[in-house]
Amino acid sequence: MKYTLLLFWATILLHSSISAQSATISVTGEVAHPLQLSAADIAAMKKVTVQATDRDGKAHSYTGVPVADILQRAGVTMGAQLRGENMSKYLLIKSGDGYEVLFSLPELDAAFTDRVVILASQVDGQPLPEGKGPFRIVVPGEKKPARWIWEVTAMTIRFAKE
Amino acid sequence: MNKRWLLLWFGMAALLFTGSRWLPMPEPYVPVYPANFGNRLNIPADNPLTKEGVLLGRMLFYEPLLSANNKISCGSCHQQQRAFTDGKKFSTGIDSIPTERNSMSLANLLWVRHFFWDGRVESLEQQALTPLTALHEMGQPLDISASKLRRSQRYTALFNAAFGNSNITGDQIVHALAQFERTLISANAPYDRYLAGQYQLPPAGERGMQLFMTAPDPGKKIRGANCAHCHGSPKLYMELFHNNGLDSLPLDPGREKLTGLAADRGRFRIPTLRNIALTAPYMHDGRFSTLEEVLDHYSEHIIQSPSLSPVLRNTSNDMNGTSLKLSRSEQKDIIAFLQLLTDSTFINNPQFSNPFN
Ligand code: HEC
Ligand code: HEC
Repeated sequence: MKYTLLLFWATILLHSSISAQSATISVTGEVAHPLQLSAADIAAMKKVTVQATDRDGKAHSYTGVPVADILQRAGVTMGAQLRGENMSKYLLIKSGDGYEVLFSLPELDAAFTDRVVILASQVDGQPLPEGKGPFRIVVPGEKKPARWIWEVTAMTIRFAKE
Repeated sequence: MNKRWLLLWFGMAALLFTGSRWLPMPEPYVPVYPANFGNRLNIPADNPLTKEGVLLGRMLFYEPLLSANNKISCGSCHQQQRAFTDGKKFSTGIDSIPTERNSMSLANLLWVRHFFWDGRVESLEQQALTPLTALHEMGQPLDISASKLRRSQRYTALFNAAFGNSNITGDQIVHALAQFERTLISANAPYDRYLAGQYQLPPAGERGMQLFMTAPDPGKKIRGANCAHCHGSPKLYMELFHNNGLDSLPLDPGREKLTGLAADRGRFRIPTLRNIALTAPYMHDGRFSTLEEVLDHYSEHIIQSPSLSPVLRNTSNDMNGTSLKLSRSEQKDIIAFLQLLTDSTFINNPQFSNPFN
């Protein structure tokens, strides 16, 4: 009897854990170490805060992990290695809704630019609003926020063909 | 003289070399489409388009032998006159049990990368397996379909021409079907001609297009419907998955069924609006029977829920509105624009019609 009850709860738990899957971010492709980042992994990384203007025309402060740090951790050719054929690599970021946006690696590398593109998890000290989280790319200074892709699920590094 | 002998020898050697499979190679089929559709085509390397493959695929698309009761073909639920839909809320196949979703229009599939309302398969080859074998659609295992075609004399030469042998396998059946479907290109609606600079929009259509393309901003007194954010581009769809505010607790969970993610609840692939005036009823469950009802939905009845698309949140022509709040005449103008997306050459193209008629 006890066991059946246990089994019953175990099944319920199992089911709820399936239906309440939480989002992760995969980092794959031309990387030395493919990553599957959970929310906890990202929470444990060093954060920065940047100022940027969203579609509403207002400046907000966004907090998150520099994309360059994530690429560094995955062993992408950044910094001193970003030369030669590595200059023809790109990062494709994918959203849970299917949207995709592209960055070239130098756009993200501190050796090339002072602009810090981040994977934001907070806006003005609050979690991102429903539908736009849990993680969203923020590109400070970009006039049109079309690359501020929300609900990030995957980052892929590839060589451009041709 | 010498030369002629040489040629003869050469010819004989070539014949011997190719042996019993001496057959003309299938001819490549080159799809024709406007440059603004882009070249991001979804054609698997092992199934290039050939004229012979496309012709065979067209016959198979209309072939009722591929169903368990010899009465249903792909063409039953995908009728050319309705831009390859069937006019029903849910479709029926070999029995009276309806499908779970509304039949989809088949146009410009050459560019699609995630098929079905929930995007669950990634090639037309894979897609065809579902209707062919689904219990309530055509309900027949592929090997039975293949053996029925082998018994019918009609197909031996056609498979030979398309694939270089007449084994007739399930694989060849789905390959040929996929080839035909990739040729279903619709690019000659008045709107396409307008984009090509060959057509002038009537005033209502012009106003409708303006609203369709514009995001509303009541603060700046800009009126709009923002449809293009999701249904934009010359192809009139974007391959994205959104919850467009139909329900708070959807009966059909859509993409959530695949991913288990709460964010995917009630999310469906954004369908094309090409030929939309011909493909009623609308939405994955055919809940709206007219375009007026669709416009009423976006204008007045966007249902808030945790997975509602951010694009539809607080998007309104009224300050603080939660639906678009378009006027009656604005809705009419948008419908006038949608009517300019009907491609009558597509639905009358003899190359897509039932070859058995
Ligand atoms: C009984 C009716 C029925 C028959 C027969 C049928 N279909 Fe469908 N078709 C549907 C329905 C319903 C959907 C949408 C199903 C879904 O999303 O789950 C669909 C979807 C599709 C799609 C997806 C289009 C897109 O944009 O993603 C393709 C392609 C397709 N059918 C091709 C075929 C082919 C090829 C055949 C014959 C082998 C066929 N269908 C037979 C009802 C049918
Ligand atoms: C946030 C993205 C989004 C926006 C903005 C949007 N739609 Fe849609 N639309 C969808 C999705 C997703 C579906 C499919 C929903 C379903 O079936 O559950 C859809 C379905 C439709 C359909 C039915 C298509 C069919 O084949 O059944 C029509 C018609 C339509 N939309 C018209 C419009 C018009 C007109 C506008 C502007 C007023 C608009 N949409 C704005 C995402 C959007």
